[in-house]
Amino acid sequence: MQPKLKSKVRCTDGEVGEVSRVIMDPLSHDISHIVVGGGSGAGPERQVPMGQVQGVTEDVVSLRLSLAEYATLPAFNRDEYVTTHEVEIAHLEERIHVTPGEVLVPFPELERSVKRRTFFANFTHAIGFLIGFPLAFPVLRYLMKPMYSPFDNEWLKIGNSGKIKQDDVGVQFKYKRKVKEAYMPEQEIDKNVWVLKATPKVLETIYQGKDMEFRDSFGKHIWTNKKDVPYIAFSGKCPHLGCGFKWRTHKTLGQVFLCPCHLSIYDAAGKVLDGPAPRPLDPLPIKVTATGDITIIDMEFKAGTKAQVRIV
Amino acid sequence: MDTTTQPTTTQPSAIEKVFAFVDERVGLKTLQAKMLNEPVPGGSRWAYVFGSVLLFIFIMQAVTGILLMFYYVPTADHAYASTQYIIHTVDYGWFLLSYHFWGSTAMVVCVFAHMSQVFLWGAYKKPRELIWLVGLALFGIVMGFGFTGYLLPWDQRAYWATTVGVEIMDKTPLLGDFMARFLKGGATPGQMTLSRFFVIHVMVLPAALMGLAGLHLFLFRKAGPAGPFRGSVEEIKAKTDYFFPRQIWKDIVGMVAVFLCICSLAFWEPIVLLEEATPDPGDYHPEPEWYFLFLFQLLRLKVFAGEFGQFLGAIALPGAFMALLAALPFIDRDPERNIFKRPIALISWIVVMASILIFTVAAIINREFLE
Repeated sequence: MQPKLKSKVRCTDGEVGEVSRVIMDPLSHDISHIVVGGGSGAGPERQVPMGQVQGVTEDVVSLRLSLAEYATLPAFNRDEYVTTHEVEIAHLEERIHVTPGEVLVPFPELERSVKRRTFFANFTHAIGFLIGFPLAFPVLRYLMKPMYSPFDNEWLKIGNSGKIKQDDVGVQFKYKRKVKEAYMPEQEIDKNVWVLKATPKVLETIYQGKDMEFRDSFGKHIWTNKKDVPYIAFSGKCPHLGCGFKWRTHKTLGQVFLCPCHLSIYDAAGKVLDGPAPRPLDPLPIKVTATGDITIIDMEFKAGTKAQVRIV
Repeated sequence: MDTTTQPTTTQPSAIEKVFAFVDERVGLKTLQAKMLNEPVPGGSRWAYVFGSVLLFIFIMQAVTGILLMFYYVPTADHAYASTQYIIHTVDYGWFLLSYHFWGSTAMVVCVFAHMSQVFLWGAYKKPRELIWLVGLALFGIVMGFGFTGYLLPWDQRAYWATTVGVEIMDKTPLLGDFMARFLKGGATPGQMTLSRFFVIHVMVLPAALMGLAGLHLFLFRKAGPAGPFRGSVEEIKAKTDYFFPRQIWKDIVGMVAVFLCICSLAFWEPIVLLEEATPDPGDYHPEPEWYFLFLFQLLRLKVFAGEFGQFLGAIALPGAFMALLAALPFIDRDPERNIFKRPIALISWIVVMASILIFTVAAIINREFLE
């Protein structure tokens, strides 16, 4: 039991005053001292360590000390302390039960007759849910508006094959693509593809004896790259994580496509030679006219997947 | 009694009256006392400054961020031009933008220091598990700030860091494609991406950070500071002092030091934009901000090749690491907080820090090799 304020304090040989304050230990959250004052001798307030308290009842605190011993205890100095209202010590107040009884305020008359408090609490939550729930779908649709758009299968002219001087060497073709995004004015963005004039050996690695068909999202046939046409256009996007790769000379592998991001290396046929890429480079639909003009369908595929998943 | 001889000093001044008026209604004195009189078990330490320093950095990021928005335009056709305008034309624009840039770096450094301190001190243990969890969420938000802010100048560096970053997110099972498209607002980065990153950077994340940082502090005050990990109760009690003035003094010195570092970096290494963003990287070798470099280098490893390997390296490994951190206070229930008596914790911390260092250095060395 904790000693209460205003309890009488008795020494072994007589009453010495009453509990005027208690002092808490900020670490253990226990009462460390009581302060005794207002006794018949009306001496200074003195602080008594809890170790000197022998017993505590409802209104009396008995000490192990005699009156003479009590008089030797140090006087209480208020300046060495702050109140619990002036300091932040977690969970301290929960541990103090020193006041003489509870401090009460009346429970309002109207509240006393309310029987179904839990029902009303749940009902409030239900109303909140009914406000929020119908909004979830429109909000989601609102945010999803631009996420999925149909593919554009337009042929784009990217340059002339006269630029390619050597077989099996990657040549970068830069081109502009017109993009009309939502409310923005139509813009031209820079893009690039790597084109090479492939020898039959490289063509065989790419096509493996079969023509390459391209279909739209409904499965409708768009174009077939014939296996004996020597021109190959690779999408400029690395199938690993979407960076732009280059045609470089490698110390041991010779001339290769190298992605500077995560160091994926591909041979002229787009086959992965080294690095983390999950699939070969992506060939695009390509048409080359008799005059050497190259047109392609600008497609983009999801990076990082083993299968080709078209996203643009 | 002659009232004219009353000393005038007992009459409260106008300022004192105003203060008393406000105090009566707000309880300022009690609030101030509660804020400042928090016992710090075992006394103030330099190791405890990081939380306050992070709050300071955040406030400065908010201030400089708001100032940047006076000129910045989040559209694909003006973002780059308006950022260049801030750098080259607006008075001190270069400084504010560079401060904001280096401030984000300081934020990441201090987050690492703060988390390390809490980990090494064993301060995540009971009853402080929730503070640790909220702290992890705040760590995620800080990374989110870095990632979204990086796109806003709309130069090549911005565009490619975002392209690769979002492709990585795409590798999350089931939700990946949706999340990536949701962030990009389409199949490829463009205006919708810029709008989304902008809103997330200037509205969503700051609101989330303020809410969670408030909760973090509330929970911290509720549990009280953990204090040192060694020393008897008597020793700790003897050295205990209040948050004010000694700890606040150390915190302020920490803030000034960080402020001077950021200012110096902003002054001597001001931000320089690359070419305007375009899906053609040209000669630019894409690379993320330095604090993501170790992850970037990790993904170059052969172990993380292929679709599954990539999922392992980009999603599973960081995800498992974060899950482990979140589960930490519930797995490690031993009340022992002394780091020198927790060999697994100490070795794990050294291994993680060393790996991050090694992978970051490897990425920097690889940079030379690519040139």
